[in-house]
Amino acid sequence: MTAPSKVVFTGLGAVCGAGKTVDEIWDALVNGRSAVAPIKQWDASQWPVNVAAEVTADNRTLVPDRKLHKIISRTDMFGLYAADLAVQQSGLLAHREKMDAVAVVQFDDRTGIISGSGGGTFRSSYDYLPLLTAAKGDLKTFGKELSNVVNPMWLLKNLPNNVLCHVGIRYNFKGSNGCITNQCAGGIMAVTECAASVRIGEADRMTAVGHDAPFEPETALNYHRLGLLSEDVLRPFDAKRSGTIFGEGAGAAVLETADDAKARGAAILGEFLGSGCCSEATGILDLRPDGDGVNRAIETALAEAGLKPEQVGMIVAHGNGTRASDASEALGIRRVFGNNPPPVTGFKWAYGHLIAASGIVDLVLALKALSQQVVPGIATLHSVDPEITLFPVSAAPQKPRSDIALVICRGFGGMNVAVLVRATNP
Amino acid sequence: MKPPRRIAITGVGMVTSIGNHAPATWASLQAGRTGFGPIQNFDASGFSTRIGAEVKNFDFDAAVPDRKLRKFASRSHRFAFAAAEEALTDAGIRPENANSHRWGFSVGAGMMGFTFDELKNVHASCAPEGEFDPAGLISKGFSPDPIAFCRGQTNAPLGLLTHHFGIRGYATSVHTACASGGQAIGTALKAMRRGVCDYMLVGGYDSMLNPIGLSGFCLLGAVSPDNDTPERASRPFDLTRNGFVLGEGAGFLVLEHWDAAVKRGAKIYAELAGDGNSLSCYRITDSPPDGNGPIQAMQQALASAGITSDELDYVNAHGTSTQMNDKSECAGLRVVLGSNIDRVRVSSTKSCMGHLIAAAGAVEAVVCALAIRDGIAPVNANLTTPDPECNVNLVRGKSQPMRIRAALSNSLGFGGSNSCLVFRNPEEVR
Repeated sequence: MTAPSKVVFTGLGAVCGAGKTVDEIWDALVNGRSAVAPIKQWDASQWPVNVAAEVTADNRTLVPDRKLHKIISRTDMFGLYAADLAVQQSGLLAHREKMDAVAVVQFDDRTGIISGSGGGTFRSSYDYLPLLTAAKGDLKTFGKELSNVVNPMWLLKNLPNNVLCHVGIRYNFKGSNGCITNQCAGGIMAVTECAASVRIGEADRMTAVGHDAPFEPETALNYHRLGLLSEDVLRPFDAKRSGTIFGEGAGAAVLETADDAKARGAAILGEFLGSGCCSEATGILDLRPDGDGVNRAIETALAEAGLKPEQVGMIVAHGNGTRASDASEALGIRRVFGNNPPPVTGFKWAYGHLIAASGIVDLVLALKALSQQVVPGIATLHSVDPEITLFPVSAAPQKPRSDIALVICRGFGGMNVAVLVRATNP
Repeated sequence: MKPPRRIAITGVGMVTSIGNHAPATWASLQAGRTGFGPIQNFDASGFSTRIGAEVKNFDFDAAVPDRKLRKFASRSHRFAFAAAEEALTDAGIRPENANSHRWGFSVGAGMMGFTFDELKNVHASCAPEGEFDPAGLISKGFSPDPIAFCRGQTNAPLGLLTHHFGIRGYATSVHTACASGGQAIGTALKAMRRGVCDYMLVGGYDSMLNPIGLSGFCLLGAVSPDNDTPERASRPFDLTRNGFVLGEGAGFLVLEHWDAAVKRGAKIYAELAGDGNSLSCYRITDSPPDGNGPIQAMQQALASAGITSDELDYVNAHGTSTQMNDKSECAGLRVVLGSNIDRVRVSSTKSCMGHLIAAAGAVEAVVCALAIRDGIAPVNANLTTPDPECNVNLVRGKSQPMRIRAALSNSLGFGGSNSCLVFRNPEEVR
């Protein structure tokens, strides 16, 4: 039996408050520049928490098609933009242009997309506020006036799977697909499911997209009420960490087999090695304090990749800056790596918590870190929490121990996802 | 290449408008009883469509026995609890400490993250004139409700159900509109085949029978306006069809590796044999008239099951009862079934229980499992004048006893995601 072909990355893209290309974001990370700033999307000056890492690029810079903006939401805009970056970099479209008509049909049917979507937002519901005013509290009038007041495309504009639909229409990628609405885990699971599709031969190539625009007035208040938000700085693993800070944006990756990528002469940007996904069975918000879940996700990924812990060169932790998550994550990592974990970092201090997009953007930047042989420091880290011991996080940059990175993503619902990637051998 | 690992369906559960558990729903389907009527949940009298397929006499408290979890569970989440509990009880197996990490979870999740009452509160504080002013949210009159917020998270039921049942392995929640349930089960099949889990609890849940959910479909003209004849409003493949009836509920199944299920002497309803999915890449509002998109999903599912349409005896169609969907789906079926088009029986059980949106593919998977077990193709109710453009062999008049070697179930979603699942009779599995 021949070994299954390796699954590789041939296109990457990301947008967030720290930049609208992978290189811009990388530049912010290595220069200690955080995009966290006072919220501009609404007047938040009187709010209990009024900072976030907003994307400031103009809507039309990200998605030029004016008509499209009428039927997509802010989160979709990020997703479409990041997908475009990855697809363009992969060179797949130019490759398809050289094919005859029969080959193109086959290519399209064997090319798929999986998105990880933040899904249901409060913002979408506000389209009904004028109707509520018109109805004066009477549901019968609400029904009667409905079509006079609300955009007939309301439902389609707010589908969680919108990015899937529009990326599909733009590129005619008609193969395997899905939309994962698993809160923070969605984006990174889009990558793991894409890799699985390519590995089992369900598709020849896949585009993974994770996107979210999670901070809205109501969401911010609820996160604050739940005690999850920092009022000023996101300090992962720091003794003085006080919570997370919202960001927004998207990440995307094109995956295919190494054989296909080589045959068409594409640049290989990294290799997907394995993944693990575990629930802690603790409900919507609670975490196990002992890190069980984190360690099982990592162990599953190592087993799938056929690797030992000491082969891992660096870790991009979830590091969301909340007391409970960082403490349990560090414990989970220690349970696998013992007293000798490789250099650990986290990126949320620079671009905030991107929720459904967080894991995939972290993964895209992890590949960049491997290619540069630099583990960026956590610029907001002053003194590591004394409860978190033998855990090599640092404000200064470190050097990866090998060409393999572990990316960890955690989320509501007790979710833990771990992914192992390798840099391309030059 | 090594044949893929076989996956057995060993437990099923359903909550629908025609029965609060699987046997009741299945009995109604066989008898062709519909669950449609004027909407009772809220005053729908001003809407262009005032009928729905509501779940009736459901005990919302009993569905979530754990009081601490109950407040986090919405209407549709409670349907999920009930159907999942039924499926696990039916399978006679559930997660234990020793194997909980080998249990996985995959669910097709509804898209509604807020309720109408919550929106009314926002309106009162922030938008009396209709224009949203966020300052109202920090005024004295408004108080955020973090429990409602948690309830509205896209993966809240994943958190609640994995906690309640103690599932500690792979877990996912997916949403591709009307294809969600089918895609959740397809995702699970792939995860089981690649060895990620030994057991999975899989399904879908939804309820859009609220003022905002109903509004979304009324605006699109997708729901039947036959308010005076609700029992006949859903008539897939009939020439006079004019939209679907919005339903609600949940469907869940327990999946196990075939050999393990046989070894423990489990009753096996069917093999979950194949999964296919595709994107239509057509228009956001329309179905491809020639079936290009659904065709690939069906072909992929048959290939994934290792069979051809020669072995297929029954198709549980997506069959929403909209003009466009039914035509597009039949065009696709003609291509996929080829010379078997006149032999293979087709029905849409949405004719009885309406369209359960994100739960549709999951309840219809349960229906396929039961159809195979009992050797009955359920009737396509309300068919009086078949549309000549929907020229497939519909199960007309009454349900059809027949041995089913393999069944196929379609779920075709808004946004162009198509999901197709194939189920095989256990006697066909060697």
